[in-house]
Amino acid sequence: MNHSITPTRRDLFHWGINGLAATAFVSLLNRETAAAPKDAKTLVPKAKRAIHICLVGGMSHVDSFDYKPELKKFHGKSLKTNEEVDLFFGQMGLLRKEDWQFKPRGDSGLMISDMFPHIAEMADDLTILRSMESKSANHTPALFLANSGFEFNGFPSMGSWISYGMGLENESLPAYVVLNDKRGAPNTGESTWSSAFLPSNHQGVVLRSGKQPVRDLFPAVKLNKETDEATRQFIRSINQEHLHRTGADAAIVDRLKSYELAAKMQTSIPEVSSFAEESAATQKMYGIHKKQTADMGRRCLLGRRLLEKGVRFIQLFSGGPVAGNPRASWDAHENVKENHTIEAGRIDKPIAALLQDLKQRGMLEDTLVLFTTEFGRTPFAQSAADKVGPGRDHNRYGFSCWMAGAGMKPGIAFGNTDEIGWKAVERPIPWHDFHATVLHLFGINHERLTFYHNGIQRRLTNVHGDILKEVLA
Amino acid sequence: MVLVNMTSFPIELFRNSFWVRRYFIDVTICVSLLLCQPANLLARQINFDKQIAPIFVSHCLECHSGAEPEGGLSLTDVNIAMNGGDSGKVIVANDAAGSLLWEQVNDDEMPPKHPLSKQEKATLKEWIDQGAKWGKSPLDPFSITTSTRAGRDWWSLKPLQNINPPQVKGSDWGSNQIDAFVLNRLQKNGLQPSPEADPRTLIRRLYFDLLGLPPTPEQVALFVAAPSEEMYQLIVKELLMSKHYGERWGRHWLDVVRFGESDGFERNFPRKNAWHYRDWIIDALNADMPYDDFVRMQLIGDQLTGGIEGAAATGFWVAGVHNTTVGGSERMKQLARQDEIEEVLATLGQTFLGLTINCARCHEHKFDPVTQKEYYQLASSISGLGHGERVEQSPGFQRTLTSIKRRLSQLQSELSVMDANASKEIIEARQAEKIAAPKPPVAMARWEFDSDFNDSIGNLNGKAIGNAKIENGALILDGQSFVETAPVQRDIAEKTFEAWVQLENLEQRGGAAISIGTRNGGVFDAIVFGERTPKHWMPGSNGFVRTDSFNGFAEEAVTKPVHIAIVYKKEGTIIGYRNGIAYGQPIRKSPIFNYKAGETEILFGLRHKPPGGNRFLKAKIHRAAFYDRALSPEEIAASAGESSKYVSEKQIVESLDRKQREQRKVIKSKIASLTVARDEVSEKANLRIYTLTAGKGKKTNVLLRGDPDNVGEVVSPAAFAAIEGLSSDFGLAPDAPEKIRRRKLAEWITHHENPLFARVMVNRIWHYHFGVGIVDTPNDFGFNGTRPSHPELLEYLAWQFRANGYRMKPLHRLIVNSSTYRQAAFGLTKTERQKAESKDASNRLLWRGNVRRLEAEALRDAMLAVTGKLNTEMGGPSFEDVSVILNKGTTYYEPIDVDGPEVWRRTVYRFNPRGGRSALLDTFDCPDSSTTTPRRSVTTTPLQSLSLMNNSFVLRMSDYFAQRVKSKAGKDETAQIIYAWRLAIARQPNEKELELSRQLVSKHGLPALCRGLFNFNEFVMIE
Repeated sequence: MNHSITPTRRDLFHWGINGLAATAFVSLLNRETAAAPKDAKTLVPKAKRAIHICLVGGMSHVDSFDYKPELKKFHGKSLKTNEEVDLFFGQMGLLRKEDWQFKPRGDSGLMISDMFPHIAEMADDLTILRSMESKSANHTPALFLANSGFEFNGFPSMGSWISYGMGLENESLPAYVVLNDKRGAPNTGESTWSSAFLPSNHQGVVLRSGKQPVRDLFPAVKLNKETDEATRQFIRSINQEHLHRTGADAAIVDRLKSYELAAKMQTSIPEVSSFAEESAATQKMYGIHKKQTADMGRRCLLGRRLLEKGVRFIQLFSGGPVAGNPRASWDAHENVKENHTIEAGRIDKPIAALLQDLKQRGMLEDTLVLFTTEFGRTPFAQSAADKVGPGRDHNRYGFSCWMAGAGMKPGIAFGNTDEIGWKAVERPIPWHDFHATVLHLFGINHERLTFYHNGIQRRLTNVHGDILKEVLA
Repeated sequence: MVLVNMTSFPIELFRNSFWVRRYFIDVTICVSLLLCQPANLLARQINFDKQIAPIFVSHCLECHSGAEPEGGLSLTDVNIAMNGGDSGKVIVANDAAGSLLWEQVNDDEMPPKHPLSKQEKATLKEWIDQGAKWGKSPLDPFSITTSTRAGRDWWSLKPLQNINPPQVKGSDWGSNQIDAFVLNRLQKNGLQPSPEADPRTLIRRLYFDLLGLPPTPEQVALFVAAPSEEMYQLIVKELLMSKHYGERWGRHWLDVVRFGESDGFERNFPRKNAWHYRDWIIDALNADMPYDDFVRMQLIGDQLTGGIEGAAATGFWVAGVHNTTVGGSERMKQLARQDEIEEVLATLGQTFLGLTINCARCHEHKFDPVTQKEYYQLASSISGLGHGERVEQSPGFQRTLTSIKRRLSQLQSELSVMDANASKEIIEARQAEKIAAPKPPVAMARWEFDSDFNDSIGNLNGKAIGNAKIENGALILDGQSFVETAPVQRDIAEKTFEAWVQLENLEQRGGAAISIGTRNGGVFDAIVFGERTPKHWMPGSNGFVRTDSFNGFAEEAVTKPVHIAIVYKKEGTIIGYRNGIAYGQPIRKSPIFNYKAGETEILFGLRHKPPGGNRFLKAKIHRAAFYDRALSPEEIAASAGESSKYVSEKQIVESLDRKQREQRKVIKSKIASLTVARDEVSEKANLRIYTLTAGKGKKTNVLLRGDPDNVGEVVSPAAFAAIEGLSSDFGLAPDAPEKIRRRKLAEWITHHENPLFARVMVNRIWHYHFGVGIVDTPNDFGFNGTRPSHPELLEYLAWQFRANGYRMKPLHRLIVNSSTYRQAAFGLTKTERQKAESKDASNRLLWRGNVRRLEAEALRDAMLAVTGKLNTEMGGPSFEDVSVILNKGTTYYEPIDVDGPEVWRRTVYRFNPRGGRSALLDTFDCPDSSTTTPRRSVTTTPLQSLSLMNNSFVLRMSDYFAQRVKSKAGKDETAQIIYAWRLAIARQPNEKELELSRQLVSKHGLPALCRGLFNFNEFVMIE
């Protein structure tokens, strides 16, 4: 029996919250902005913050970032397979060649299609992952998995884990901000950016336009400014009196502080949300002046401003609810050309501008840009078995994402799918590996960033996760 | 070596505590000195069972066991192990140096991540050199607790012990047995308990703990004036009798069983009839139902009492999420089903047993003695699991209903005889006078379908989709096609549909003759055939929000067209007509929907978009019309071409003599009041309940690695074997009926010999009283959970709980009567407190009362109570402070700002859909009901302060609070201020506080003070 006498980290952490003999540790934890176990952060972080562009509905990789010359050759042929294929609608038409032309881009010569002409110009800054794979070909579980490492409701999202692991850089802004597509939130709604069992201060905070950019930021009804301020003063005085009477109780001190920070947020959020100090040229670069790109342009620019102010993790969704007609997401069952032209048109220029802007400000050095989707789309059409229909079904077996910025090896494509883009064959990348790599870039050991919940020390990466060393600078 | 000590009970329980670690240091050193060194000298014989087996079990078997061991090497069985694996023989008796096993262990190659300690290595080497003699074979990986996992000797799996409270000397502190245990531990650590809290603090603590509501100033004053022991006891007794007790503790239970009122996942449909479970829980707790009955009812209430109660109680099974979009392939469906079973087993195991049995789905449990096979035995026991709604009849109400219906039908037939006679005379007179039939009303749009799909009045021309065509003056719909019109260019609220329909068959279900809807199909109203009740016409609508049965009659006509009309009135009444005559009874459900100009279209043959499923109609439509107003019965009759036979009520009344008129009036008024009574009673007599709708029990196989495509052996419904003295065998065959599987499971869980059952619940109750459980992981009494801070106390309470018939209220009484519970939070001197904090900062030893932040619900309820607005109505459908929007197949829940008595109810009655958060509750850590929440997190964030300052509910409550104070405290400002303070925090302001309050009120008014009071530490935190 090897009963170590020094308490294990788990014990310490556990008793840190609840127990004995770890007094100093307890208050340290409470004082620190990050509550995560200390030894989780063992590495020198490359990334200090990240912006995550999350495509809802499944982007076709064979039409965008995964060039497959063979697919052209086999266009109209049948993909002969005996296996039971895990599709969503289960209709397997004939193979369909790409709908956009691919070209080598930049010095790196990365093959990117004309679906994203502006992002393509930034090819030398991208690290394309061409062998992503998912466990589910169904929207909700797939989106949950991409975000939280689990296919179910009730697990903290990557942003929450990073908030938990890294803590606040700027106390007067939330650590994790969510910017939804104007057309609506993804189907999974609030659960998508939930902190689940992590303390609720790690939850994604939705920032929207209008008078209340954050829920309850200002009084719900019009109040006299002086009244508001006088009431705040009054509360402070009374609560301070209370603190005097009780002695320095950590919970009570925290409460007092929370009111100070709340007041700061009332200035810092409108400040960061205003584009007054952004030049017309900058706004134009993001495409804010054009109807098609205005929504994403605004969010990308706001994203950059939030990053500058020290927000840890920003999540931008491209696409709202997946079902419906016309589609308001990337779920191109009916017609990829039609759907993806619209969807890519909304985000291509703004994202390229974001990359360029981060780069010219030197921020790409320590900022990570993530571009992901739930799953890819099939190389064959979603149509009758003897037809080449214009739509594609979900493909969980292989698809593309990209990363850029802090600590990444730029201008490369990593991994590969088979010759038609159907399945990841060269270094398949499950989401756990993706997440492990992101945490690694933040200087966090994904096996050590844990939180006890109902019997298990939970991790973003469950019991998996291999870092993609090959894509690191 | 330490093993010997590890298995002894009390020490094992204390393993994690600090001084026990210290104790271990000493023991380890002593044992080392005494045994190891002399042992080395004497070359003692290694005992395999005691020394080697534990090493194998804790370090090797995770990979080297089972059917597919790593490297082909299994170390469970002597013969297999000695034969070796893929690399040949690994253990060469008497030759450690020549044994591959030793070589790899010595080089730290094995075990791969955590090499063996020097001591372990030495023991292993010695054992091989001594001849590698085995003891018991095969090794049982679960037999003993090791440093990495729990065995069957794990503390929480052992039978309950009857432990006497310790004799504590040198202190007269304490009121009951609990205190003896607590004081004993405090003394051993050189600590002392805090004095009793002051009466005000104490009574507030009691109220919030037991009821989740604050005491009134009067209740506080009464106790503060005479804070005797008798008075305290009396208050406790009264509170435990209060109906609010069940609401407070029911909310705790609902956290654990993750009760939510929507499906979760992509569609997240609302469950409007799930509240019966919530009400059942509250009622059962108020009735102090013994805990074993309480649990049995939730598991097999359908078999025990059946009826409404049984259906409501078994809502337990369907309280969690349910995926209704599982994809097309068989594999996806199976995976979704397995996920659901796992989710329910997780909740079941953690709720009732404090074990994470769900962790054994893909492999043996990594930390607790539960095998993968046992997981599937449990899965088999619940394999009939199904979500759905049941209609349950309440016998008493049914009897009343029958008698009302009988009386009603008598009166109706009297009336119809009277009216028929009058009508007959009128029609005869009409025919004699040759009065012209009234003209039919003019529609907004009308489709003749004679030669095209065009609107003959306006421009709502139709377009055929699919094979819809015109033939012989009728629109032919083949069940796969439909007609859609141009967008409706005006807003539509009140409306009437009319269609002359000839059905192709009477068996079809769900198609619509005519429908109006938003262009994406998210919202619609339609004349639908047979969707809910076969052969009946009904008003179709999105999510059935404006749908109910007309209780008309079954359609018979297929050879000729019938005229069907549905009228939608502004206030929400919907009336059906068939061939110009009222069809059944009007219905009224949700308010009418306002369709926006330009976003709406009319469909024929399709219930709503997108096309597909059962939404198509197979029929001929001869003609159809749409009106942007509600037609009168006369107009419907005229339009249906039945007006010559239609006599209005007015005409009838006019034709009667005075006496008959009076008589008719009396009958009519009786019918009216009986109809109201019938509807009321009918609602109570036929309850729709979202509950377990069990299917057949399924033959269940072990799924290797949890993969549905990787099928292993068949298992029988059964439990797990690790609980000492409790058989896991249900004596059932793999194909046993569903009911008996679930019954056996319920019997096993609630079995007298199941120690977890009592321990876990006692600890939960303790947890909610103190904010921290004796075991601080209330859902996990396994290896990964924490060890009890007061193991004997837990044992004592569990034993008493069981011995007293699992009644919860006596346990509450015991706890709140203890001196431990009554301690002040800030009662020690500064020196005493510093000393205590240096030893036990987080108060695990209970040297003081804990300061606790109110839970989100208690905070909201307290505001309602303080303002005097709290509506104490219990039970029934949930109140809604979110809008329910169906958009593209997904339901969105957005917080809305609502006010009024309906929403002033306690928060436990709030409609609680998953993802349907409320800004106020959310920031105060109210969990989303996606997984079981045994312990809420308590955070302090700026967003919280923002909510409590700015949320519309808080601001409104501040105004109401001020109004109340003004009306009760008179005009004097000081009196008002003092009254407000007393209402909010049960004390008067001191001089300084009064002065600050005066300054605020005089400049900014009373609402500002009230808003301030809600933000006081003392309002939000309870000592």
